[in-house]
Amino acid sequence: MQSLTFSSEAPRPLMVLTAVSVALATMTLIWSFADPRLIDGVPVWAKPMKFAISLIVFFGTLALLDARLSPAWRDGRLLRGTTVVMATAMVFEMAYIIFMAARGEASHFNQSTPFTQAMYGLMGLGATLLVVGVAVYGVAAWRDTWADLGPALRMGVAVGFVGSTVLTLITALTLSAMSGHFIGTPGPDAATIPLLGWSAAVGDLRPSHFLALHMMQALPLAGLMFDRLGWSSRAVLVTAAAYAVITMAVYAQALAGMPLIRL
Amino acid sequence: MTPEELFALTGPPALLGWAILILAPRRWPLLNVVPQVVIPLGFAVLYTGLILANFAATGGGFGTLAAVRLLFNSDWMLVAGWVHYLAFDMAVGAWLALRMDRAGIGRLVQAPLLVLTFLFGPVGFLLSLLCEGTLRLVPSRQSQV
Repeated sequence: MQSLTFSSEAPRPLMVLTAVSVALATMTLIWSFADPRLIDGVPVWAKPMKFAISLIVFFGTLALLDARLSPAWRDGRLLRGTTVVMATAMVFEMAYIIFMAARGEASHFNQSTPFTQAMYGLMGLGATLLVVGVAVYGVAAWRDTWADLGPALRMGVAVGFVGSTVLTLITALTLSAMSGHFIGTPGPDAATIPLLGWSAAVGDLRPSHFLALHMMQALPLAGLMFDRLGWSSRAVLVTAAAYAVITMAVYAQALAGMPLIRL
Repeated sequence: MTPEELFALTGPPALLGWAILILAPRRWPLLNVVPQVVIPLGFAVLYTGLILANFAATGGGFGTLAAVRLLFNSDWMLVAGWVHYLAFDMAVGAWLALRMDRAGIGRLVQAPLLVLTFLFGPVGFLLSLLCEGTLRLVPSRQSQV
């Protein structure tokens, strides 16, 4: 039997979660070749695949930040506890999404039985924990003075992560208060945006949800660029404000029943 | 004993082995050898007896799907096939757990992968190895710090 000690070479937990997401995405790809079933006109494996890919980006972003934090912060109780909570939420969300998709049933918005209602509620809790975890990391990046972050990048991470959490909670709470993600009723052959599946005929809250979620990548990338260009970290605040305005405009557009792009 | 009674007897050791693998600490070799070797070996003994005593009488074989179906027409052979799953799934699960320990994959992440191996053997095998393989692609920053 090989030795089980590996302390100095152990991968970071966020890297492990990224790897699990890669494994799950690969599994959904295999699934896509084998399963022709549809839920509401969408292949059953599409949602697990989108979630797995999204989680690769999500945990990959957090892992990149984690690698730049000082040991005191990244191995501190706050961030370790946050990561354990996020890991639990992620495992639960993916397990249920895959379980329901394999049964050919909807996971979100499924009010058909007390069980699916309760699980939909728990999924909301899990998603909230994941999103709040991002804000915790954002604040940690701001407070950790020994972190390997340039001024604009630090600002980008802090504002991008906290802003992403706030905007995501706004769009997600709106989604959870409705019976589906459409504003309006698309016809059976209504146009959708390729790959993403967003409606190109009626209002759809998912584009604003997407923008809100990915503020946690957009702003740090902007900060990284501004550091390279030698710009002040104020440029990050301007970018963040513009990004938030665009996200809220897309959100308002959907609530008004208009598609992001009419095809 | 009926095949049904024998089937019922295979459940508890399987659950015990998987409970150890998924939940128990890994620092006691004597405990971990139970799912690694002891229980799969017990299933192997049982399987060997069942297969030697019942295979020929079914008139089935491995050549065609129809021949395989003939094998499993016998309830004793059905139990043997079930014991085959139990034995190999646990042996593979224990091997995966060792590999994931060495790769530094935490127990919280191992648990669902091992549950998948318990329920749907090859799915857990696939996901565990994909996860480990992906981690190998990432250069470890930790060693530089």
